[in-house]
Amino acid sequence: MAEPLHSSGTYQGALSVPASRPSMIGRLISDYRTELAIALAILVLEGVVSALVPNALTRGNLADIGQAASPLIIMAIGQLLVVITGGIDLSVGSVFSLTGMITALAMVHGFGAVPSTALGLGIGFLTGLVNGLLVTVAGLAPFVVTLITYAAGGSLAFIVTNGQSLPVPDQSYVLLNSGALVPGVVNYALFCVVLLVACELFLRRAVAGRWLYAVGSNANASRLLGVPVRRTVLAAYLGSGLLASFASVLSLSYISNAEATAGSNLMLQAIAAVVIGGASLFGGTGSAIGAVLGAVMITAIQNGVNLIGVNSFWQGSVTAVVILIAVLVDRIGKGRR
Amino acid sequence: MTANKRTTKIGRTIGLASAAFTLALAVGAVTARPAEPKPTVAYIAPSLDISYWQWVAYGVEKKAAELGMNYVGYTSENSPDMQMNNVRTAVTRGVKAIVIGPVSSTSTPPVLRFLAQHHIPVAFAGIGPQPGLTDYTSSVTANNLETGRAEGQFVCELAKARGGNKIGMLSLPLDRENAQKYLKGARETIKAGGCDLVEIIQTHGLTVREAVTQANDLLTAHPDIKAIYGMYDEAGTGAAKALQTRGLVGKVGVAVADGSPTTIKLLHEGAIQGIFLQEAVGQGIDATQQVWNALNGKTVTKDLPLTEPLVTSKTIDEPKIQVTLKRVYPPSAGAY
Amino acid sequence: MQAPMFLLEARSIVKSFGPTRVLRGVNFLVAPGEVHALLGGNGAGKSTLLKIVTGDLSHDAGNLVFAGHDMASPAGAEARAGRIAAVHQELALLPHLSVAENVALPLCKRGLALFRPAEARRFAVDALSLIDPAFAAEAVDRKVAELTLHEGQLVEIARAIGSGAQLLLLDEPTANLTAPEAERLFTILRRLVSERPIAAVFVSHRMQEIRQIADVCTILRDGITSADRVPVHDLTDVEIIERMGQQSAASALGPMPHPSPSTAVLLRRSFGTFHLSGPATEIELPPGRILGLAGGPTGPSRLIDALIGEAKKPIWKLCRNGQSVAPPNPHAAAASGIGYVSGDRVNKGIIAALPIIDNVMAARRIVERRIWVGWGEPAEADRLLDTLNITNGRLWALPATMSGGTQQKLLIARWLALKPQLLVLEEPTRGVDIGTKREIYTLIRTMAGLGSAIVWWSTEHAELISLCELVIAFDVQGEPTGALAAAELSDERLAAATGMAA
Repeated sequence: MAEPLHSSGTYQGALSVPASRPSMIGRLISDYRTELAIALAILVLEGVVSALVPNALTRGNLADIGQAASPLIIMAIGQLLVVITGGIDLSVGSVFSLTGMITALAMVHGFGAVPSTALGLGIGFLTGLVNGLLVTVAGLAPFVVTLITYAAGGSLAFIVTNGQSLPVPDQSYVLLNSGALVPGVVNYALFCVVLLVACELFLRRAVAGRWLYAVGSNANASRLLGVPVRRTVLAAYLGSGLLASFASVLSLSYISNAEATAGSNLMLQAIAAVVIGGASLFGGTGSAIGAVLGAVMITAIQNGVNLIGVNSFWQGSVTAVVILIAVLVDRIGKGRR
Repeated sequence: MTANKRTTKIGRTIGLASAAFTLALAVGAVTARPAEPKPTVAYIAPSLDISYWQWVAYGVEKKAAELGMNYVGYTSENSPDMQMNNVRTAVTRGVKAIVIGPVSSTSTPPVLRFLAQHHIPVAFAGIGPQPGLTDYTSSVTANNLETGRAEGQFVCELAKARGGNKIGMLSLPLDRENAQKYLKGARETIKAGGCDLVEIIQTHGLTVREAVTQANDLLTAHPDIKAIYGMYDEAGTGAAKALQTRGLVGKVGVAVADGSPTTIKLLHEGAIQGIFLQEAVGQGIDATQQVWNALNGKTVTKDLPLTEPLVTSKTIDEPKIQVTLKRVYPPSAGAY
Repeated sequence: MQAPMFLLEARSIVKSFGPTRVLRGVNFLVAPGEVHALLGGNGAGKSTLLKIVTGDLSHDAGNLVFAGHDMASPAGAEARAGRIAAVHQELALLPHLSVAENVALPLCKRGLALFRPAEARRFAVDALSLIDPAFAAEAVDRKVAELTLHEGQLVEIARAIGSGAQLLLLDEPTANLTAPEAERLFTILRRLVSERPIAAVFVSHRMQEIRQIADVCTILRDGITSADRVPVHDLTDVEIIERMGQQSAASALGPMPHPSPSTAVLLRRSFGTFHLSGPATEIELPPGRILGLAGGPTGPSRLIDALIGEAKKPIWKLCRNGQSVAPPNPHAAAASGIGYVSGDRVNKGIIAALPIIDNVMAARRIVERRIWVGWGEPAEADRLLDTLNITNGRLWALPATMSGGTQQKLLIARWLALKPQLLVLEEPTRGVDIGTKREIYTLIRTMAGLGSAIVWWSTEHAELISLCELVIAFDVQGEPTGALAAAELSDERLAAATGMAA
């Protein structure tokens, strides 16, 4: 065996304390730059709206925004999981619609609130399972797979009741959304906050959360490293499906009415929320806070436009401009790559 | 060598099988369609994702059965191209008459030209043809302008009865002709009644969820609104829900057009004060009757503008109203 | 010396890519406790063999047994997970994640376990410090996407070493390391191999390294094993090269042929003379001059970026016949006759998704501003590939079917027919074997002979000494320490001027 050579330089063996790191606050700010930019944009937006309509900043209106945003927030969190892995879930809107119809249908046929809700959540689980298996085992592209479930689910939502909308017969069902499990905190807000915190912690602190980023960053390298890629991706789609159906039962509880088209716009909005919040559709980045802020921003724009009374035909342009500005400011902040 | 022989043999078998199959198809196609004893009427809906057009379909199908006709339904999914396609397909299929809810009035000229060439009677249900065209059998529509006027007046009275004159409107997409007519009529009577239409919010998806959010925003922006004008059924449901959350049921009046089991129920409960019923089923029935008349040499009525009768919680149980309700939605949709 | 059982037994491995048989019955046996050099010429199949061992590729025939488990069975594949760590030429890192996560992640086996960033950082710093403590402290929180190739290599090696794997496969790991780092790597390898029952497989073309680090070697030639577990001491350099199927040891290539005065005048007129000015340095580049850059990577990269239009605020200025040439972006640089070939094939050269013909024609299309793909291109491409002695590439196949060295020749082929006025080379023989290297040297000389001025950065001093007329040396901070003329060039002087021995 050759003798270890005399090595030049200052090799001293392992260091146990690394050199100075930026402070905790500094690190948080740099990690969450995009999210801060979006939060700032929302504040500016609300400032502008409230200048024109003073009631914009009342507790009532903010609660309205929260209520209106809650399904989107939950769905955006679900979509985020999939987007981080580099995939996409187009089926969430159909899951939303179908879950509402099935849950209401079950209740109309005499099933209790709890079994009906479980059935509805089962729709999300099943769709997520189908999506995940087709992507991981069959190796099909996520866009195609979720396009299929989007079409199938959307169609099923009409088939189950021949397109008729269904009222929720149980008056007390509204408590799911509007009750207060924690005194003083309305349920929909509670669920949103809990899900947000849980998801962000999961993504940053659970190994499985890091696996999501690993797979999205370089799936092949992850596989070679021993990351269970298939299981991770499957879990992401399951999460997205389940959260979409949870959003649906929550909304159903509030509106007390199931419609076959209920989720139609939500798919695109969920994806937009995630991307506005800083995730890349190529995978590997994104945060729950960002996704939630993106959802809030989209809802706040809608609310602002309604309050001000902008002509409907202009709404799309207004939305586009606001989002463009927010995203550009963030990009400029990051510097040219 | 053996492989080649085998492939040739297989190839030949496949070839023979295909030929036989094609022949069978051809024979079947020629012979399987007997001279239809019953004529078929096709209903072409602009889209079937909202209940209204499904209820029209129900009316067409019911009346067709009564009159001894077969029924087939198509949907144009809000696309003029698909609509034209459906028309052609229906004619190729050999239907004898068409009841159509067009995607828009402006999309009707090529449809009418085509059907005139093929001498097929066509009746409109719900949305009429482009003004100025005459080459059709009948047009059974709601009189949107009149209804707009009536509802506008009703809503203004609701507001004044509650101590104010501000009105908010949840409207259909204003690129549609019926929406524009509603609005025109409403503006007239609202102004005439001394009321102020402070804001109009248009729906995008025609869902209750959206209507709830929009109603909330209306009330936030203009807390002194005393009545809400709903141009479509879901608007009423949404407005009622928003009022309920704010504890304003009854304090802000709601009127709505169309009518459905949900809004009828809300009417019973007092969350909605008035519904201007659009007889979806009735339009389907009447349009079918007209084309049947045309096929059988009976008189046709070119224009059948149906009124939208108002029903309030006071009049809901009158027998006349109950009869009307049966022409609004089918029993399968819900209670009356 | 004989281990009772082999850690890895590969026998009669066969692998084909389409019609190309890359491995034609290879035997490769690795025992625990040894550092095993895997040698072979360009395209002999080394990278392919390693990928088969890690499971990245499947083999068409043959036996593969790792730690007693047959890899063909599912249980065998399971057993392999986590016990073989590889560092390939093309880095397999997770760009969106931090250095700490990249190093530590392979050890986190349970999904529902807590991921402790502080522990991961400590682990990563420890592993990285084995090779470069300064880098470890500074880079551990950075996202891998921000790292240079050199830094990425350090992270990959640290990950492999820290992963606790039984078999380490290192494919040209020192290609991007400085001399001190390489030495530390060797020290660590030797220590690991002696302390634990692991083995390290080492692919390299550098003779000195092989003798420094390896106990035994296996040599592949044309897809078969031409030397199976031969102790390195038993072979001379010449014998090794012969077993690889290369020509006998390259002595100096002979003096650079200079063009006649009249030709020189003609060339000067058509190509112009370049003038390069930078911090305390002024260099003339008449047509055909080969300028070497030694040291780095900071200093040479700055110069290269300025030349090819990648620098936002260039420190170096280029003039041609007195007129400033400052391309704002690489497209402008290419269009104005500046060619660029990088040794970082994956990221800066080969377009993996397009076939070979597109890769070869790329530069031509840009420089000649072609809108349509010409009918004559296949013939042109064929001619170019022939000139470069590339025989096994079909025009419409993807570049991945070519070995690294052949891909490198491809990148040079791009510019060969275009006679660029200035050709910028960035480590053009990285990861290329001796035979192909000589071919590339000849090519470069040919292009210089045709009038192109050459700027050539290499960390292999031997190249610079034999081929350059003038060398600018950069120290580790990136400052130029002086220009050395050919007569003054030697290993010691370059080592002194750059702070790196190579």
